[in-house]
Amino acid sequence: MPERIKHAPLDSKELKRPKVTIHLIKDQCKGCGYCIEFCPKKIFEESEEINARGVHPPKIVDESKCLLCSFCTAVCPDFAIFVTEKKCEGECCT
Amino acid sequence: MSEKKDPEPENTSEELRIGVYVCHCGLNIAGSVNCEEVAKYAATLPNVVLAQDNLYACSDQGQEGIKKDIKEHKLNRVVVASCSPRLHEPTFRKACEDAGLNKYLFEMANIREHCSWVHLYDRESATEKAKDLVKMAVAKASLLQPAIETEVPINRKALIIGGGVAGIQAALDLADTGYKVHLVEKEPSIGGMMARIDKTFPTMDCSICILAPKMSDVGHHPNIELLAYSEVTEVKGYIGNFVVKVLKKPRYVTKDCSACGECVKVCPIVTPNEFDVGLASRHAIYTPFAQAVPVTYLIDMSLCLNKEDVVVCDKCMKACERGAIKYEMKPETVELEVGTIIVATGADVFDPSTLPNYGYGKIANVITSLEFERLINAGGPSGGHLIRPSDMQIPKRVAFIQCVGSRSDKAGHLYCSNVCCMNTIKDSLLIKEHWPDTEIFVFYIDIRAYGKGFEDLYNRAKKAGVKFIRGLPSEIKEDRKTCNLWLMGENTLQNEIYKINIDMAILSVGLEARKDSEIIQRLLTLSRDQDGFFLEAHPKLRPVDAATGGVFFAGCAESPKDIKDSVTQASAAAARAGTLMAKGKVTVEAITPIFDPEKCKACGLCTKVCPYNALTLNKDLKKITIVEAACGGCGTCAAECPFGALTQSHFTDEQIVAQIDAVTEHDANKKIVAFCCNWCSYAGADFAGVSRMQYPPNVRIIRTMCSGRVSQKFVERAFARGVAAVMVTGCHLGDCHYINANYQTQKRVERLWKKMEQNGLDKNRLQLLWASAAEGEKFASKVREVKSIVESVTSEEVEKARKVFEKALEE
Repeated sequence: MPERIKHAPLDSKELKRPKVTIHLIKDQCKGCGYCIEFCPKKIFEESEEINARGVHPPKIVDESKCLLCSFCTAVCPDFAIFVTEKKCEGECCT
Repeated sequence: MSEKKDPEPENTSEELRIGVYVCHCGLNIAGSVNCEEVAKYAATLPNVVLAQDNLYACSDQGQEGIKKDIKEHKLNRVVVASCSPRLHEPTFRKACEDAGLNKYLFEMANIREHCSWVHLYDRESATEKAKDLVKMAVAKASLLQPAIETEVPINRKALIIGGGVAGIQAALDLADTGYKVHLVEKEPSIGGMMARIDKTFPTMDCSICILAPKMSDVGHHPNIELLAYSEVTEVKGYIGNFVVKVLKKPRYVTKDCSACGECVKVCPIVTPNEFDVGLASRHAIYTPFAQAVPVTYLIDMSLCLNKEDVVVCDKCMKACERGAIKYEMKPETVELEVGTIIVATGADVFDPSTLPNYGYGKIANVITSLEFERLINAGGPSGGHLIRPSDMQIPKRVAFIQCVGSRSDKAGHLYCSNVCCMNTIKDSLLIKEHWPDTEIFVFYIDIRAYGKGFEDLYNRAKKAGVKFIRGLPSEIKEDRKTCNLWLMGENTLQNEIYKINIDMAILSVGLEARKDSEIIQRLLTLSRDQDGFFLEAHPKLRPVDAATGGVFFAGCAESPKDIKDSVTQASAAAARAGTLMAKGKVTVEAITPIFDPEKCKACGLCTKVCPYNALTLNKDLKKITIVEAACGGCGTCAAECPFGALTQSHFTDEQIVAQIDAVTEHDANKKIVAFCCNWCSYAGADFAGVSRMQYPPNVRIIRTMCSGRVSQKFVERAFARGVAAVMVTGCHLGDCHYINANYQTQKRVERLWKKMEQNGLDKNRLQLLWASAAEGEKFASKVREVKSIVESVTSEEVEKARKVFEKALEE
C-alpha cells in the first residue's frame, strides 16, 4: 500500500508510552559499550567523563525514547544499568 | 519441450510449378486494374505454369478451381493477387492445405488495398503496379519452403499475480473449473483496494461484506495455493511452460496463530496503519485488518526491536499461548511451474500533495477519497463517524472536488480515472444517510454516470440535496482560527465566481499505474501504454490478452475500472487462460528463426535484441539455443546477425532480397520500396486503401512481420539496385506488437542515415515512418511527400548511391 501518509492516527493522543527512569551506576561500568551497541532505540552514547575504573561510562541521549525492554540490563556484564517505570500521578501518562 | 516434425521434403527438390490467380473482386480491382493483362503478364514470369484471372478468387468456386488446378497441374506454389493477406490469407492457405499443398507454399499479392483502391483514376499506372506486385509475389513464392507449425504442450496450472478482487475472482473461476492456481499477493492479506472501501456503487452494498466470503473461499479452496506477503522475482519460459520464482517474505508468525490478538496488547511499538492510510495505529506485530486472509499475524521487522540473531524483546512470544512466534524465520524462495499467468496487480491512488493549490498534507481538513472511505467505515479508525482531522468534530458543510490527478495536462494525468464520479455520488449519499442536515457541494468538470444504475444514483443524490457545481476550485484557503476552508473558483454554468466556506474538503483522487509496474513489465516482457497501464494485444477483440503468449490481464492493471468491470475482466481472463489449458497444447506459427551454426561466431548480438529472451548464448559451445515456443516471430534477430547465421522462416533474406530485386529490375529510379510491418504500417496502408485515400502509384510495399526484421542490408541492396527512395515503416515506439523490437529499427535507420551523410547522399531518400493501423492518411501523405523527393533525385545521385552501397550486391 504505497499511499503517502499525511495525517496522524486519530488515536495518537490516547497512545501511551511508558514513562521511565534509567538508572546508571557509572562507577560500576567498565566501558564495554554493549549497552550502546545493543539498545534498539540507541538511547546511550559514550560520555567524555572518566569514572572510578578509568573508563568512559555511557550517557543517556533521550530517556523519553525508552520502551522499557530492559535489554540494557540484560546485556550489561557489570549490573550497572536498570530501568524503572514512573508511577502514574495525575496526567503523567497522557 | 516443443516438438517439430521435418517438413515433407518432396516440395523442395521438385521442379517449381507456380499457379497465379488474379482476382477481379467484382469491379473493386478490375475497375482500375486490367486483370486480364496482369494475368497474361504473370504467365510470362519464370516458373509460372498457370496464370488466370477470376471474378472472385475467394468464392467457393474460386477456391475449388485453385484446389482442382493444384491437383491437375501439379502446382507446388500458389500466388493469389487480390486483397490484403490480413483479410484472406487464411482462406487461401486453407484451400491449399485441402488440396494437399503445405500452407506455407502460398503467397499473396495485395493489388486491392495497396493498388486499385488507392489509384482509382490511373488505370495504366495501377496495372503496371499490379504487375510489379505479382512479380514480387512470384519471386518470393519461388523461394518458399514448406513448414510444419510447432506444437507446444500447456501446463495445466495458473499463476495469478495480485490478490485484489480481480485476482480473487480469476483464482476462484479457474480453481472451480478444476485447475490448480497459485495466487501471489505482495501485501500480508488479499483483498486489495476493495477491502478498504466502505460501500460499493451503485447498489450501496457493504464492500467488505461481499468480498470477505470470496477471500475466505480463496483461503480454503483445495485448488488454490495462496502465497501472501510474497513477490514474483523471476519468470522464465514461455506460453504453457513458465517457471516462476516467488519470494515468500517471513511473517515471523507460523500458521499455528489463532489470531487471538494477545501479542498485540504487549507490543511496545506503535506506528500508523497503512491499511487505514495512517488514520489508525498498529503495533509491530499486527494483522492489517479484521477480515484478513490469511488470518496469521505478522511482525514488521523494520520496526520490531529485535534484529537478526538478537532477541531484545520477547513480549509477544511470551504472550502467545500457541508458541506461534518464530523470530528466526527466514525468507524463502519457491519455484512454480505454470502454463498461464494472469496479471492482476491493480492500480495506485494519485498523490495530491503534488498539487500546491489544494494544500493536501498541509491543511488538516483536506482529505482524499480513500481516507474518506476509512473514516465512513464502521470498522475504520473513527468507528464510522465522519470527523474532520483538525478537531474531531462532525462537519456540517462538506465539499467533494473531482478530477484530482485526472483529466489535466498540468498536474496528474490526461485520462479519466473512470470511478471517481460515481464514488463521490455514492459518498455524498452515505453522508446524507447518516447526517441528513449536512450541506454537500460537488465541484466537477463533467459528471460521468454512464453505467447500469449510475444515472439513478446520480438523480438520487440530486434529490437528496447534494449541490453539483461545474467548475473546479482554483484554490483552497484555510481559516487559521476555525480550520474551516474557503474554496474559490468559477461556476462555468452560470459564469459566476464562487467563494464558499466549508468545514472539510474531500479530494476525489484518480487512479494511476502502479509505480513498480515496470518490474512485472520486465519479468513478463509486457508493453505499457502512454499512461503506464499494461497494453492489451488488441483494444477491441483481445482486450484481456497480453502480447506475450499465455499472459492475461484482469482489473486495474490494464486500465482504471470499477469493481464490476474488474470482476468481469477477471472472469474473462480466467476463461481465456482456461481455454488454453483445456486444449492442453498450442501451435506456434512457423515464422521462427532458422539458425546456421556454421556461420555463427557466438557474438551474442541476437540474444540482446530478442524481445522475448527466446535466444540464449552458450559461450562454451559457441552456439545459440532457440526456444521456438517463446519466439514471437518478429525476426529482429535475423536483421541483427552480422554473419548471416540467422534468418526468419517464411521471411528469409533470400525471399526479401528476391522481392527487392523484382521491384528494381525496371525503372528503379522512379520507384519507392516501402517496408511495412504486418500489425501497424501495413494495416495502416490497408486502411488507406479501404478509405480510398489516393497516393502516387510508384510505391511498392514489402511486408514483414515487424519493422525489426528490416536488415540494413535490405535497404542498402535497394539503393545498390538504383531505387530512388526507401521507406521503413512500423508501429509507433512503445506500441510495437513485438514489445520493443522497433527500437532496433530506429537504431538501424539512424546508422544508415549516418552512412548516407558521410558519403554525401541525401538522407531524405531513406524515410522512417511510425504509423498505426488507424493512420492511413499518415501513410498516404508520407508517400506523397516521398514522391516529391523521388522527383528531385537526379540520375547522378542514384548512381552515387549505387556505388556507395554496391557491396550489398555481393551476397
